[in-house]
Formats: sequence, C-alpha cells, structure tokens
Amino acid sequence: MLLRMRGIVKSYDGVRALRGVSFDLAAGEVHALVGENGAGKSTLVKAITGAVVPDAGEILLDGRPVALPDPTTARSLGIRAVYQQPALFPDLSVAENIALGLGAGRAFRRVRWRALRERARALLARAGADIDPEAEVRRLSMPEQQLVEIARAIGAGARILVLDEPTASLGGREVERLFGVIRELRAGGTGIVYISHRLEELPEVADRVTALRDGELVATHPMQAVSRADLIRMMVGRDVSAVFPKRPMEPGPTRLAVRGLTREADGIRDVSFDVRRGEILGLAGLVGAGRTETARLIFGLAPCDRGVIELDGRPITIRSPADAVAAGIAYVPEDRRRHGVIPEMSVADNTTLAVLRRVAAHGWLDRRREDALAEAYVERLGVKTPSVAAPVGSLSGGNQQKVALARWLATDPKVLVLDEPTQGIDVGAKAEIHRLMGDLAARGLAIVMISSELPEILGMSDRIAVMHAGRVAAVVDRAGATQESLLALALGEAAPAPTGGGP
Amino acid sequence: MIGRLAGIRHLREWSVALVLAALLAALAFLAPAFFRADYLRGLLVAKASVLIVALGMTLVIVARQIDISVGSQFSVCGVIAGLLSTAGLPMGLVALGTVAAGAAMGATNGLLVAGLGLPSIVVTLATMTILREALRWLREGQFVLGLPDDFQWFGLGQLAGQWTVILAAAAFFLAAAWGLRHLGAGRAVYAVGSDAEAARLAGLRPRFVVFLVFLAMGAVTGLASLLSAIQFGVVDPNSGAGLELQVIAAAVVGGTAISGGRGTPMGTLLGVALLGTIGPALVFLDAAPEWEKAIQGLFILAAVAVDALAWRKR
Amino acid sequence: MSRPRLTSAQFGLVLVLLIEIAVFSLTGRNFATRDNAFEVARLSVEIGLLALAMTPVILTGGIDLSVGSLMGLSAVLFGKLWRDAGWPIGPAIAATLLAGAAAGAGNGLLVTRLRMPPLIVTLGSYSLFRGLAEGITGGVDNFTGFPAGFLFLGQGYLGGILPPQLPILLAAALGFWLLVHRTTVGRALVAIGFSPEGARHAGIAVERHVRLVYLMSGCVASLAAVIYVAHLGQAKADAGTGYELLAVTAVVLGGTSIFGGRGGILGTLLGLVTIAVLQNGLRLSDLPAELAGILTGALLLAALGADRLRATARRPPGEAPTAPAPLPESTEVPVKNSQVAFLAAVILLAAGLVAASNWLVVRSIVREADRRDDPAGARAAGSGDAATAASGGGAAAGPRRKRVTVAMMPKSKGNPYFVACRKGAEEAAAELGVDLVWDGPTDPDPAKQNEVIDTWITRGVDVIAVAVENRAGISTVLRKAQARGIKVVTWDADAEPDARSFFVNQATPRGIGEALMDNAARILGGEGEFAIITASLTAGNMIDWQKEIEKRRAEKYPGIRLAALRPCDDLQKKAFDEATAILGAHPEVRVIMGICSPAPPGAAEAVKQSGRGDVKVLGLSLPNMNKRFVHEGITDCIILWKTADLGYLTVLAADALARGTLPPGADGIEAGRLGRIAIEGDNILLGTPFVFTKDNIDDFDF
Repeated sequence: MLLRMRGIVKSYDGVRALRGVSFDLAAGEVHALVGENGAGKSTLVKAITGAVVPDAGEILLDGRPVALPDPTTARSLGIRAVYQQPALFPDLSVAENIALGLGAGRAFRRVRWRALRERARALLARAGADIDPEAEVRRLSMPEQQLVEIARAIGAGARILVLDEPTASLGGREVERLFGVIRELRAGGTGIVYISHRLEELPEVADRVTALRDGELVATHPMQAVSRADLIRMMVGRDVSAVFPKRPMEPGPTRLAVRGLTREADGIRDVSFDVRRGEILGLAGLVGAGRTETARLIFGLAPCDRGVIELDGRPITIRSPADAVAAGIAYVPEDRRRHGVIPEMSVADNTTLAVLRRVAAHGWLDRRREDALAEAYVERLGVKTPSVAAPVGSLSGGNQQKVALARWLATDPKVLVLDEPTQGIDVGAKAEIHRLMGDLAARGLAIVMISSELPEILGMSDRIAVMHAGRVAAVVDRAGATQESLLALALGEAAPAPTGGGP
Repeated sequence: MIGRLAGIRHLREWSVALVLAALLAALAFLAPAFFRADYLRGLLVAKASVLIVALGMTLVIVARQIDISVGSQFSVCGVIAGLLSTAGLPMGLVALGTVAAGAAMGATNGLLVAGLGLPSIVVTLATMTILREALRWLREGQFVLGLPDDFQWFGLGQLAGQWTVILAAAAFFLAAAWGLRHLGAGRAVYAVGSDAEAARLAGLRPRFVVFLVFLAMGAVTGLASLLSAIQFGVVDPNSGAGLELQVIAAAVVGGTAISGGRGTPMGTLLGVALLGTIGPALVFLDAAPEWEKAIQGLFILAAVAVDALAWRKR
Repeated sequence: MSRPRLTSAQFGLVLVLLIEIAVFSLTGRNFATRDNAFEVARLSVEIGLLALAMTPVILTGGIDLSVGSLMGLSAVLFGKLWRDAGWPIGPAIAATLLAGAAAGAGNGLLVTRLRMPPLIVTLGSYSLFRGLAEGITGGVDNFTGFPAGFLFLGQGYLGGILPPQLPILLAAALGFWLLVHRTTVGRALVAIGFSPEGARHAGIAVERHVRLVYLMSGCVASLAAVIYVAHLGQAKADAGTGYELLAVTAVVLGGTSIFGGRGGILGTLLGLVTIAVLQNGLRLSDLPAELAGILTGALLLAALGADRLRATARRPPGEAPTAPAPLPESTEVPVKNSQVAFLAAVILLAAGLVAASNWLVVRSIVREADRRDDPAGARAAGSGDAATAASGGGAAAGPRRKRVTVAMMPKSKGNPYFVACRKGAEEAAAELGVDLVWDGPTDPDPAKQNEVIDTWITRGVDVIAVAVENRAGISTVLRKAQARGIKVVTWDADAEPDARSFFVNQATPRGIGEALMDNAARILGGEGEFAIITASLTAGNMIDWQKEIEKRRAEKYPGIRLAALRPCDDLQKKAFDEATAILGAHPEVRVIMGICSPAPPGAAEAVKQSGRGDVKVLGLSLPNMNKRFVHEGITDCIILWKTADLGYLTVLAADALARGTLPPGADGIEAGRLGRIAIEGDNILLGTPFVFTKDNIDDFDF
C-alpha cells in the first residue's frame, strides 16, 4: 500500500471533524472520496497534504510511519493536491507558476524561460488546457486557474495526487481530457485521491470509493460493486438527533420574492423563489451551486445583471448592504471570522454594529444602551462570554456565530438569510440556534437558510429550494422530500416536477 | 475602450514610454539644444545614481515592502565615502567601505522588518529620522573638503569618469533587469511579493528573501551614493534629501505595484527618465520652474489612475 | 476599545513621559514651569492638528502624506483670498477650510473610486499640492501684514498666559476623540480598519466613511495652515514642509496600528506630547536638538517592537486560519509580556538619555574648563539672580563680574555657513568669558525658530542673538523676550526694528545684490546673459537678494539679461543639475550666479564638466568649498563677509548690550581684534562684503 491512514482524529474548537477515520491508497489506483459537505473529506485530505496535523492516528507511507507537520514536508515526499480555490501567484505568468510549483530553483541558477514555457505548454496540453503559458494568472478564469494547478501537479510527478472537485467548473470536453490524464497517471503508478460530487463520473475513473459521513468512515467498496443509489444511501443518513424540528405553522403572506435574479460573472442564472412570513425556506445544493452567491445578490454585496427583489409585494432597489439593512434584510454570512463578526472587536461592539444608529442618539453612542442590548442578546442566545467587552475572537465558534446572529436580530429584520448557520459549531450550540430559528419564524420572520446538511434542511425548512449549477433545480415541500431525493436534485441527477412551488 | 487596453502586456511601460516620447519630441521641436551629446551625457551621469536607487526601490516594492530611509542612507554613505577618502584609503577600499556601510544600514532595516515582522513603512520612517539626525549632529552640515585628487572620477579624469558612471549604472540596470527576470533569486522576490504564503509552500523562505531585499537596497544605495559623490570635488552631507519620494514615485510611475509582485526594471528606467526629464525640459522650454512639482504630482496620479481605470473596467 | 482606559502601549508612553519629565526637571532649566508647559503646547498645535486628523485615516488602514503640502497650498490660498481678493479674514478662513476639505475629498475619491493605494494617491497629491502652492505664488510671493486680531490667534495670550490656539487644539482633540470613540462614525471607522469586508457585511457604507476621513484630514490641514499663518504672521508656499511625517510619527508612536483598527486619539495626544516634551526638555538641558530626532526614532522602534511582542504572545505565527486559536487578550500573560517589553524599552531609553546627557555635560564642562583661567569656574546659571559670580578671566580681565549667557541661533543647524560663524562666536565667548548657547532648528522651518526662542525665554538667558529666517514671524516672540528683560540682537538677517536692540549687519541685501551684480557685469563686460541658482523659490533672504540684483541690473546694466532662475533645494547635486540644464538650454549664458552656499561649487562643477571655458561662476558661498574652482579659473570670485568676524562681533555686541556698555544711539563699538566698528542707527556694520578671488582666497580657512 502506498498510503495507509489509521484512526485519524481531528477536532476544531471542540467540534470533531474526523472521528477515527482509516483510509488507504495503492499505487496506480484512483480512490474516490464521497460524502456530503462537512462529512470530513476536506479535513482528511488536509491531513494527507500536511495542511492540518491530526490529533490522533497514524499515517504510513510505503509502510513506514511518517509525520507530515507542514505542506512542504508532504510535498517533498511526493504528495500534491489541487484544491478548488487555486493557490497560485496572481502576478506571475502561468509558466512561472508551474515552475515554482515544482520547487524553487537555485538562487543563482539561470531561469531558462524557453524551457519553462515549453514544459508548461506540454503540461497544460496533458492537462487538456488551452492556456497561453505567458498569460498572467490573475487574468485567467477560475477553471483555467484550476487547470494550471492540475498541470502543475502532473509536472511534479507526484506519487500521491489529491484532486478536490477538479471537474466542478470544467466543460465536457475538458473533463474528458482530464480523465485521460488521470488514467495516464494511474498507469504510471500514481495514487490518486479523487473527490467529486459528480457521482456519474466516478465509475469512469475510480477504482475504489470511500464514503464519509459526520467525520466517520461509512464504507470502502470497489467502484464497480456499488450503484449510484448505493452511493447516495451511503452519503446520507446523518445524525438527526441534534436538530430541533421547526413547529409547523400556517405561513403568512409572501414577504420576500426573488424573480429571475441573474449575475453571469458568478454563474447565477434566473434564480426565483419566495419566502412567506413565518416560513423557513431551506436553500440546498452542493458547494458551488450558487447559494451563497444568491444570498450576496439579495444583500447587495454584489450587483445583479437582471432580476427583481420584492419585499411585501413591492420591488425594492438594493445597491449596497446598507440598502438591504434599511429595507429589513439581514444576512449572516458563511465565513464567520472574515465576514460574520470582526474578531478583534468586543461582543458588544459586534452586536451593535448594524444598529449603531438605533442605539445611538443623533450619532452619539450610548455605552450603557449598547451594553444593555448586548447583554440582553448574550442572555437570550446563551452566548458564553466572560463579558460583553471580551473580543469576539476569543470565543468559541458557536458563540461567535451567536454573536453574528445577535447583530442581525438586533436590527429587527423582516427577512433573515442564514448561510450555513451551524457549520463547525458544537452540538449544543447547534440545537440552540435551531430552537432560536424556530422562535423567530414563529414571530413572523421570513427565513432563508442555506445549509449543506440535509438533515438540517429537512428538519428546519418548511419548503426547500434545491440549487444546481447556478439555477434553482426545484422547490419542494418538506413533506415530500427525502435526503435521497434532495441529494439527487442537488447532484443534477433528476428533475422531478416541482411540488408546492410559489403561490 | 480603456478596459481593452488592460489586455496589453506591459501597458504601463508602453504608456510611460509614449509620454516620454511625446516630451522628447516636443523638446526636439522646440529646443533641439537638449539633444546635444555632451548635455545628454551630463544628464545621464546626473540621473545614474537616481536610477540605481530606484531599481533598488523597485526590488523592495516588488517584495511588497517600502523603504523611506534611502535618502538618509544615501547622505550617510556619501559622507562616509568622503571621510574614508580623506583618511587616505585607496579608492577601491573607499568604494568597498561605502557599499558595506549601506549594506549594514539596509541589514538593520531588514532585521527589523523580516526578523521582528514590523511594518516596513514605520521601521524605515524611524531609521530615516535616526540616520538623518545623527548625521546632522555629527557633521553639522559641513561639506567633506580636502578630498584627494583620486576621489573625483576615481582619478580617471572627467570624460572617462563620466563614462564610468554611465556604464556602471547601465551595467547595474542590465544586471538588475536580467537578474530579476532570469535568476532564481530574482523570481523569488516576485513570488514572495505576489503571495508570501504560496511562496512558502513553494519552498521559498519569504522572511529571508525580504531581509536580503533590504540588505540589497542598502548596498545599492551605498553604490549609488558613491557614484554620485565622486562626481564632485566636495561631498554635500545632504545629498540624499528627498530622494526616497523621488525614487518611489519613479518606480510607481514605471508600473511597480505597491501591492507587490509586479514591476520591472524597464518600467522603473522609464519612470526615472520621465520624471528626470520634466525638470530639464522646463528649463529648455523656458517654462516657469515653480510648476515643476505640480506637474510631477500630476504625472504620478495620472499614471496610477490610468492603470486603476483600466483594471476597474474589466 | 472605546472605553477610556489606557492600553498597554499607552501605558508605556505614559511611563516614558513621566521619565522624560523626571529627567528634564533635573537637567533642564525652568523645565517644570507653567509657562513652559503652555509653550510646549503652543508649539505642538499645528502638528497636533495634523496628527489628530491623521489618526482616523490610519485607523481605517490608510495614510495621508499630502497634509504638509496641503498646508502650503491652504496658506497660499488664504493669503490670496485675503490680500488679492480683498476678502475679510473670516470668510477667507472659511473658504480655505472648504478648499482643504475639497482637496482631501479628492484624495478620498481616488482612494475609494479607483481603488488606488492611499500611499500612492497621497504621494502624488503631496507633490501636486506643494507644486500648486509654489505655482500660484510663483514661489516668491508671500503674504504678510495680517491684522493684529488675526495674529493674536497665533501669537497672543488669553488672559496673559494661555496661547489662543491651544483651546483650538483641545477642541479638535475633544472633537476627534468624541468622533472616534463616541459616535457611530468612529465605531464604523474602527470596524473598517480591522476588516473592510467585515464592515461591509455589517451594512456599513465603507467607501463613504473612508472618503470622510480624508476629507476631514484635508480640512484640518487647512485649519493648521491658518493657525500656522497666524503664528508666523506670514503665508508662504513652504508652510508645513515635512510635517506629514512628524504627524505620522506621533500617531504611530501613540499606538495606532499602521494596519488599521487599533489605536485612538488619546494615544496620538500622548505620542505628540512625548515628542514635544522630548524636544523641549533636551533644549532646556542644553543638549543638541538632533538628539530629539534620534530618540524619537528609537522610541518608535521600541514601541513597535513591544507591540509586536505582545501580538506574538497572543497568536503564534503560522497558525492556519482555518483553525483559529483563541485570542486571549484578557488573559494575564500577554499583558505582562507587553509591560515587560515596554519597561525594558523605557529603561533602555532612559539609560541612553542619561548616558548621552552625562557625556555631553562632561564634555561641555571640560570644554569650559579649558576655556577658563579661573580654576573655581563654577557653571553659571543663566538667569539673572541665580547667577553665581565668577571672576572674569582671559581678555575680559578686570573687576569681578557676573557671567553673561548669550543664546545664539543660526537660521538652521547643519548649514556650513553658520558653522563658520559659530567659530568666531566661540572665540569671542572665550575671550569675554561669556556662556554661549548655540542652538537652532534642525530643519529650515521658520516656525521652529520661534520654538527655540520660546524655549530660551523659559530657560532664561541674558541675550538672544538670532539670525532671522522669517521677519514677520519671529518679531512677536522677540518682543516677548524683551518684555521679560532679555536683550535681543539680530545678526545675519534682521527682524522688525522694535523687536531687537541692534542688528549686526554683515551686509545689507542691497550691498550684497550690488556686489554680485557689479561683479557679474564686470565679467560680462556690461552685456550678455546670466542665470541665477537660488536655494529655493520661497526662501526669504534669497528673494530679497534677487530683488536687489534685479534692481541694480535695471538701473546700471540694461544690456544684461537674466536668462533663467532655478532653485537647487540647497543641494550641491541639484545645483549641478540645474546649471547643466541652463548651460544646455541657454547657450548665451556667460555667468552663473549661485546665491546659496552649495550653488557656486555645484555650478562650477557643471561648468567644468561641460568644458565651457567661456562661462564663469560667482556667488555667495564659503571660500573653502570653492578654492579649487577659483584656482582653476572657473569661479571668478566668491562674495561673502568674514563669517568668523560676524559671529565674533555678534557675541561681542551681545555682551556689551548685557553689561549696558552699548547704549542706544551709540555710534561705535570697540570690537576686540576687529578694532572700532561703526554703528549706523541701530545697525552695527561689519563692513562691505568681501570679495574672495584667486589672489586672496588661500588666506582664509572657513
């Protein structure tokens, strides 16, 4: 066995991402890794590439235990990865990026540009990419950058190659070429870990498949032994005990209506849905399906090319987040530390940041009112913090999320958009957030919840809009939905007639 | 339309070259005396040291740092060159000592920035003040007088000396242009400036690279200061006054991005040439000298704005 | 962060400040007095205002390098509106503030709309604003004669003790403090500084706030310019030169992070006061002013280093952002670390300070002991009643008498011309047994001269002798000195006649102008072209000389034409460049006249290198710099008085004035080795300018 991993455990902030996973990879094998978002695939891959160091477990390379404290060590052992978000030098040319990816040259040895370009051209051709090696990387599109990464990994002659969703943004012809490359590498003895949500392509390239769920290994099977239905069954079925199902209630009139929202640059095309008062609309889909991008359009973080947003039946114009806030739309973003809260600022300051005008009298801050407001939310949401003056960055992930939520609840919004509200937080906090969402909906708020956890979607939503490739594939009622059917929709597998669409 | 321009490779270099060409064409038409060989030679000699420091600054900015202490370093190095020479050292040792002194000052900056991870703009603001005031304290603004005969033009005589300076600067430019493009060390600077984390992943040592960049900046400043000092029979202790902003402006006008990773010696050469021609051009065109700074400011803003616009429209 | 509580960085600064005050109370004369405190405050107003407005800019992660230049532009604009457009002072101020705000908004627009880096934008406008100021005035124009009510703002005393601009600074400080720490805007600025994207996600209009801070910065720079004009009584294009970096230094020293988010107004005020007290205290301790800059730089590095140590203790580097370590800011360990670091820095600094002052005191005592015959020569305190009697020795043998302290100021330190003058001054001081204090601004900034004189008034001296940079600006403070019983003489360049007793006149502008023009005409043979290289287009005495040169030319030499006038920034290299350009552009030029000391050697080098044997150089400079060119025949002549004699005569006159042996209306003075020197009115005349030529230049060494 080329690579053998035994009992890998990794936790972030007390949240277990991997709970004793074992995985192995033979030379000349393509081993597919499947699982829902958050199942632990990324963490496992990072443990292979040295990006994270496991809390427990052992990694054997060629049967010998190795320590992979950092990516450089992993690289020197012949381990390479191509991520969805390429890590390239934006200011340098494609050829140079490929060259640097193959290791820095000697300081005083001449860079042979012609050779670099020729090599880059050859590697790009093998990766099936039609890219000028002299182009600056920052002028390339995201899929093009990914192809550069693949070319780079091919060039490195890696013994172990990790491909994380390499085909997510590629067209059919490019995918075919990539598969050719993969087969070629496999024939050359490279072990390939292949992560993909496109289940239909797995039989074409993979030899074995391993499914993860909730940080645990479900099973490893030879590829030809499992059907697509088997795969979906293996992926779904996550622990639902942590979900407080929303009490069903009679939804009120339509609060938010989105009609034909389009932004070509983000690949969002003709997205339409609506949310009623007291309703939770689940927005399901795979990573990259355009859910976050849709939320950003609604919140004014990016301009849309076309489309109308209506609030209580009246079209509104949203050019900036400030407009959205004024209209009564709140958005709790996915990336908590970068967008959701400002970690260096205190709990109180974060809580009041979106309602400064309201806690202030004619622009003058009133510390006592701010603290009182923050303390009220700390109590109401059960934020565990030494005081409201503590910096949010010092709190745990769940408590940070509660602060982010508190900020928006303080605005008393009409529409609340939650982007992965319980990602990476512990079970207790998760339950509290779910209960809170139920309460909020009961008080007439319209909630759009983006989540990659199907049990959460199924447990919390009144209706579910499933997105696939920048479009709303279907809007279904909770009653008629199962994890399998939702996953099938999200994977673009089927398009059943939408049940229970808009009014 | 501007958006399409952004697709042109080396847009900034071309646009600066275009403006420079227009300026030179105007001079050729209105003041042909500008192109007299001996005048141009003198101009080249005069701008040689600015070019050398600006190339060093290009390196620093490409590495995503900045050094505003170069003016003070330049002054200190000039005085050191003069004092070493009056102490009776041969010119070879004087040159060595001057460059070494510059390198030492650069290394200090480098240690503070790369070693301790302090922001370069504040570090070099502090060292700028310290060096300037220390020099003023010790020298009280006195020129270094009584230099031996072999100091000016290295004792080579004027014409040979002038060519020495020009060729030294040209050689340095070519070495910098070639080295930054074709040596692993040069590419490492670009990689570190473009994305330090990615550079670390590629097996480079970003902190060490930044340290070396500051060291090089100091040494280069020493060299430039020496080449400037030997043009005169006495050493002015304020020779570097205002140099830092002049060279930063030249590098930026030439297309070096303050956000790191981008910029070429060729662009900087054009930037130095453009900003260095405006002053003399005003003399030759009999324009009022008091507008020179305003025109320079406009050029700086316009150069950067064109680029910003070109990118924004994409 | 908005609680009125000292951060550890500010705590460190307070410690430094306390140590400064403790040390200077011991070493400085009259340091710990109320008047001194007010003077320190008055002199910090302009930079203080800039630093206050810079704080929100840096807080948002930006920087504004254009404020110093904008002061120049605003001063000129204000002068234009008042004098040329005939506006009353009030509306002129209002319009100036508006213009400043507009200029700042321009910076803000370029930063937000075009997403250009603030450093580059304001570097460009740094050149642009100064250039516009110089362009509008042609460099030379300056505005004086402002009404007394306006000047009171910068020079007067409320209730006899309180400088009127101080309440403005305090109001601005309070205003900015409230804005940054007590309003929604300030909170938004902090959020933007920490994370622009995070702030945007919170619904904050990031671009509008960023524009606002640059707008305020511009507006406040204009306010600083108006106060500067009131302070100096003169509006000129060079106002505020170099102030931007002083302001940035104060802000960063005050603990505001250059990356944004962290920091505040209180820190900036502390930083400002720390620097101001350092400068003032060093001066009152008779320590060189350059030490202030060096210590400020060291302090800045120490503050940064301490901050860095704190950050390192808080978050180990290389931690992956996906697995964020908690930021235990409230735990005890890192706070202790930072305090230890700061304490270490402070101790180091104090040690350095004490060591430096000891060394200098010892050095000066040794020097004095060398100078004195009197073995019991106790170091005399300056101010009147505290003076200890010391038997006069040396040339001033005679009855026992009290030692006189003469404080003598050049236009700026670090200028070889004044260093040469100092030699003569020290010679006279040794002969007469006078305590000579020699100090001046390190930058050629007229406001700094006032600062030094104010410090001397506080310190207590018998006579102040000053080479005036700015006639209108300095006279108020000189009158104040006279009112406190200090005698005042001027030398090299004069103040208002009622602000001093005598002017030691080495040569009038007219005498200089005529000598220069006559010699140029002699070389030219009465017709042809010549060019002038001056220090800067804004320097006052240069402008006077240019006028006299022009007058003489128009009167006596109509056949001679001035082909070009170029500034060289007091740099030899620039003078060389300009001369080279002039030679190329104006082939008819036969004479280049350099009227600041680096200009003639620079121009001569240019002539030499061009090989133009038909062009001659002359000008005002020091003989030593020019000897080789004079001998080579490139420089025809150097015109200057004997600088040592000027210094000698100044100290001599100052001493006589202090002893009462030089009454008003005297028609002459016995001047030691110079013999009897004539006095005309209140001008002590050194004589006509001396012409150094090939034949006599080797007789001199300065």
